[in-house]
Amino acid sequence: MEQTLIRTVVSADEEYLRDESKKVGHAESISFPETHAQVCQIMAQLYETGTPVTVQGSRTGLAAAAVPFGGHVLNLSRMDKVLGMRQENDRFYITVQPGVILQKLNKSIAARSFNTDAWDEAAQETYKAFTKTPVQMFTPDPTESTAAIGGMVACNASGARSYHYGPTRRHINAIRGVLADGRTIALRRGEIFAKGLELKLQTEEGSSVTVQLPTYNMPKCKNASGYYCHENMDAIDLLIGSDGTLAVMTEIEISLLPTPALTWGVTAFFPDQYKAVAYTKQVRGIDQGIAAIEYFDSCALDILRKQKAENTAFAGLPFLPEEYGCAVYTELHCDSEEQAYALLENLGGYCAQAGGNPDMTWVATSDSDRDMLHFFRHAVPESVNMQVERSKRNYPEITKVGGDLAVPDECFETLLALYDSTLEAEGLQHAAWGHIGDNHIHVNILPRDMDEYSRGKALLARWAAEVSRMGGAVSAEHGVGKLKAPFLEVMYGAEHIREMAALKAAFDPKCMLGRGNLFAPQQEVVE
Amino acid sequence: MKIIVCMKQVPAAATASIDPLTKTIVRTGRNAVTNPFDLHALQAALDIRKQAEGTVTAITMGIPAAEKVLRDAIARGANDGAILSDRAFAGSDTLATSYALSLGVEKLGGADLIVCGKMAVDGDTAQIGPELAQHLGIPHVSDVCEILEAAEDHLVVRREWDDAEQEVYLPLPALITVAKGKNLPQLPTIGGMLRGRAAEIAVYTAEALQADVARCGLKGSPTQVVRTFTPPVRGQAQAVEGNEQQQAEKLAMIIQEVLYGKD
Amino acid sequence: MEKIKNGALWVFCEVQGDALLPVGLQLLGRAKTLAAESNRPLYAIVLGKIPQGGAELLGASGADEVICSDGPAMKDKLEQPYADCLIALAKQYQPDILLVGATPFGRAFAPRVAAALGTGLTADCTELSIEEESGLLLQTRPAFGGNMMATIKTATQRPQMATVRPGVLPLPEPAETTIREPIMIPYNEAAGLARLLKETAITKGADISQSKIIVAAGRGIGQKKNLKLVQALADKLGGQVGASRPLVDMGFCPYSSQIGQTGYSVAPDLLICCGISGAVQHLAGIGGAKKVIAINTDPKAPIFAVADYQIVGDCVTVLEHLLQELDK
Repeated sequence: MEQTLIRTVVSADEEYLRDESKKVGHAESISFPETHAQVCQIMAQLYETGTPVTVQGSRTGLAAAAVPFGGHVLNLSRMDKVLGMRQENDRFYITVQPGVILQKLNKSIAARSFNTDAWDEAAQETYKAFTKTPVQMFTPDPTESTAAIGGMVACNASGARSYHYGPTRRHINAIRGVLADGRTIALRRGEIFAKGLELKLQTEEGSSVTVQLPTYNMPKCKNASGYYCHENMDAIDLLIGSDGTLAVMTEIEISLLPTPALTWGVTAFFPDQYKAVAYTKQVRGIDQGIAAIEYFDSCALDILRKQKAENTAFAGLPFLPEEYGCAVYTELHCDSEEQAYALLENLGGYCAQAGGNPDMTWVATSDSDRDMLHFFRHAVPESVNMQVERSKRNYPEITKVGGDLAVPDECFETLLALYDSTLEAEGLQHAAWGHIGDNHIHVNILPRDMDEYSRGKALLARWAAEVSRMGGAVSAEHGVGKLKAPFLEVMYGAEHIREMAALKAAFDPKCMLGRGNLFAPQQEVVE
Repeated sequence: MKIIVCMKQVPAAATASIDPLTKTIVRTGRNAVTNPFDLHALQAALDIRKQAEGTVTAITMGIPAAEKVLRDAIARGANDGAILSDRAFAGSDTLATSYALSLGVEKLGGADLIVCGKMAVDGDTAQIGPELAQHLGIPHVSDVCEILEAAEDHLVVRREWDDAEQEVYLPLPALITVAKGKNLPQLPTIGGMLRGRAAEIAVYTAEALQADVARCGLKGSPTQVVRTFTPPVRGQAQAVEGNEQQQAEKLAMIIQEVLYGKD
Repeated sequence: MEKIKNGALWVFCEVQGDALLPVGLQLLGRAKTLAAESNRPLYAIVLGKIPQGGAELLGASGADEVICSDGPAMKDKLEQPYADCLIALAKQYQPDILLVGATPFGRAFAPRVAAALGTGLTADCTELSIEEESGLLLQTRPAFGGNMMATIKTATQRPQMATVRPGVLPLPEPAETTIREPIMIPYNEAAGLARLLKETAITKGADISQSKIIVAAGRGIGQKKNLKLVQALADKLGGQVGASRPLVDMGFCPYSSQIGQTGYSVAPDLLICCGISGAVQHLAGIGGAKKVIAINTDPKAPIFAVADYQIVGDCVTVLEHLLQELDK
C-alpha cells in the first residue's frame, strides 16, 4: 500500500516538472495523494530518506515555486474536494482541499451548488441555509483563475480586488497541514498567537514545535516576500505565504463575503502614464465602492491591437482606437444604482480633468460586458506568454522576466520614472500592467535572445535593489519561489535571511520542503 | 436613414444549467440583460449609421422594467428608445409579439431599416424578425453577419450558412436579422451611461397602438405549451474495455454510430 | 387540381444546389406515421426547380403526392419569394399540418408563412407526435439552451406549423411508389425585391470552432511524429485536428488548433481526445461538444468526467489499431 502512492517519474510526467514561469526542473519520484492521511504517509516515508519535496497545486505560479529540482513531486491536484461548510455570525466558511481550483470553486459558490454527499450533518444543514442567502463570494481574484486554492495560500496571492478586500491572507480562517516528518498541525485564526517573537505550536500527535520569529519589519505596502512576521502575530499567518517551505497544506477553511448588489467595470484611457497616475490618485480618494484600480500601459495595448488583428482567437477583444494610449480600469462594487451612477459621474469628471474623454471609455455592467473586459485583462499576460514561448523555441533557457515590485505611495512616480529611463537605455521590448491602485505594476521584459534575456534579468535585479531602498517589496503578490529568491536577500539583508532559515529549520530540520524556494541555493540550511 | 432596432430583455444566465439537487434552472446572473444577439443587431445599426447618416431607435416589448434594455442601447450609442408595455401583451408567442412590434414600428412612423438579433437566447426561435417583416410587407434577410454596403436606398449584406455564403442586394425599406459576425458589440461609455439614464423613454400601451386585443398576448398566441420537462443529463462515461486492439475495434463501431448512425 | 385534397399533412422539401436536402426525406419518414395515425394524406412540397428523379425519391420516402411550384420569382432562393409562394399554395389548399426542415433557410422563411396565415410556428423541434384524443400535432423542442424540453401544440389555427431539426429523425427505408412526376403548379408572381448577388459554397476553413468533427491531441501523444496518426484519423473522418495548450506551447501544433480557455471553444458533434488529461483550462473550451471520446492512460484523468466514452490505454497504440480498423 505504502509503495503505491509514490512512483518513479516517467517521461509522460514532463508537465509536472514545470509551471507557468516556464522554468523546467527535474525529479525522481511523484505522488498524487487524495487525502490528508495519504499526505502524512507519503511525508513520513520521504522523511526517512530526507528526500526533498516540491509541493504542487495547479502549477499556475509565476515564481517557479512548484518546479522541482530533484527529489519528490507532491502533486495535490487530486485533493480537489470541497469538504464542508460552516456558518458563524452570518459569515459562511468553506473547507476545501488544496487542489480545489479557484474558478470551479467560484462557480459553485455563485451557483450555490456543491456536491454535499460526503459532508457531515451540520455542514449539510449549513448548506441549506447557504442556498437561501444572497450570493456570496470568495474575493481573492488572481488573474490566473485556474489557480489552486493551496497555491494561492502558499504565495498569499492577490488580484485586482485586493485593492479593496486585501490579499488571500485576509480570507483564510483555518489551515490543517502536514510537517516534513508526517506530523499534523492545525491552526485556526484567533486561537494561537506568538508571545513577542516566540511562537509555540502543538501538533495533533501531541508534540510541539517552537520557533523564533525573524526580527525584520515588513514593508509598508502590498507584500508577498518572505515569511509574514510581527510581534504577537497569529500563528496561521506564518503558514500563509510561506511558499511551500514550512508544511504541506491539506485542508483550508476560506471565508466568504456577500456579493455586492452591483459590480461595474470602468476603463478610462489616457494619452500617457502620468495622466493615468493623476487619475488614479483622484480615484483612490473615493472612500466607498472602489474595489480595484488596474493599469495597462501603451505597450500592453499595442500587443492587444496586434493580437486582435492577427489572431482570430483574440477577435473578441473590444476595438481599441489608436488614440487610446494607456488604460486605467476601475471596478465598482455598489449597493445601489444610485451609488454606482454617482461614482460613474465622479469618474467621468476625474477622467476629463486628467486629460481623458468620458465618451471614450468602457463601462461594463452586464455579465457579457464584464466577460469582455475580463478577456481583455487576461489577454495581456496571455499574449506576453505567447511571445515568450516563441523566443523560448529558439532559446530554451529563456523564461519570462517579470517584475512584481510594489512601493509605498510617495515613491510610485519615482519608480515609474526609473522603469522608463532604464528600459529605454537598454532598448528592451516590454509591457506593463497591474495594480496601480496599490503602486504595484508588473513590468514584463520580452527578451528575443539570450543577450536581452540576461540584460533583462540584470535590470530586474537593479529594480529590486532600488525598490528595497524605497522601502518596497520585491514580490508583492506572486511569491518569491525560486526565481525571486536572490532578491529577498537584497530586500532583507543576510542577517534576516539567516533568521528565516532558522525558522524554517525548526519546522523542517532536514530542509525537505520547497527546497530552493525563498532561499537561494547557497543560503540553504544544511544540517 | 431611419433605423429601428428591436431588442429583448432576457434572463442573465443564457446558458442556464440545471441544479442537480432541485432540478431547476440555476441562474447565476442576478439581473435580466439585453439579449446578446440584439447587441450585435444594435452594433450593426450603429455601424450603418456611421456610413449613412441617420438615427437609431431601440424598441422593445415587455414589462415596464424592460426599458432597461433601451437605456442600455442609448448608453451604447442609440439615439432614443420606445417600449411597448401593456398587460394585454403578456404571454405573447412569436405571432403576437411580431404583431405588436409591427404596430410599434408604425407608431414610430415606420423605418427605412429594421434590425433584429438573429434570435433571443431564452426562446431560440429566430422567428420574430421574419414574422415582423411579413406583417410590415417588406423583404428581409436573416442571419446577416456583415454589412458590405449601406446606401440611402439599399444595403448589400453577407450571410454565412452551414454550407453556403450569400451576398444579397436588399432594397429599403427592409428588415435584417443579425448573427454574430463583424459587428462585435462595443461597450457603453461613461458619457453614454449617463445619457441613457437621463433619457426620456416613450411608452406605448395596446390602446395607444390601436391594437386588436384578440391578436395580442396569450389570446393572440396560437401556440400553447402542453408540458415542460428536463432531458436526461450526460451520465458517467461508458468504459470501452479490452486490450488496445479490442478497444480500437469497439471504438471504430462507436465512431460509425455517432457519425452515421443517426441518418 | 382535384388530386390535391384540403386538410393534408405537408412537408416542405428544400432543394440546395441540385439536390434535395436529407431533412425533407427524414421528415417524410416521420410524417408518414403521423399521417397514418391522423388519417391525413401526406404531400411533399418542392419550391423552385425539382431535381431529376426528385418526385420519385419523395414518393419512395412516403409522400402520397409531390407538389412542385415554380416560376420566375423562384430563381433566387430568398426568404420573401419562397414564403409568398408557399403562402399562396397554403391559402388555396388549406393544409392541416405544415412541416419545414429547420435548416437556416427553413428557419428564415417559414416564419413569414406562419405570420401571413396567422398561425403558430414551433421552432427547431426534435420530436413530433399526434395527441391521441384531439389528433393535434405535439411538437417538442429544446428550450433554455437544451436544459429544458417543451411540448407545444397549436389548437385553434391551421395549419399547425413546425420547423424540425435536421438529423434527429432517421432516413426512411425507400418504399415502392408509383409517383414519377410532381404535380406542377405554376407561380407567376414577379421576382422579389431582394436579389442574390453571389452564392459560394463554404469549404470549412482552418477555424476549428466551427468544425463538426475534431480529433484533439494532448501531451499523452508523446512525440511529435505521433501527430501524424491524429491527422490521419481526422482526415479519415472528415474532421480537423485540435490540440491542448502544452502541444501548442511546445511548437508541436499551431495556435489555430488550440482548444481551451486561451484558445478556441469548440462544439463539434464528435470530439476524440487523445492523450489529453483534461486540465480545467482545456475543459473550458469543450463544453459544447456533443459526443466526447477520451483516450488516456490515467484512469483518473479529469477528461473522463466529461467524456461519453472512456478508453483507458495508450492513445498512440489505440490510434494505430483504430486506423487499421477503419480501413476495413
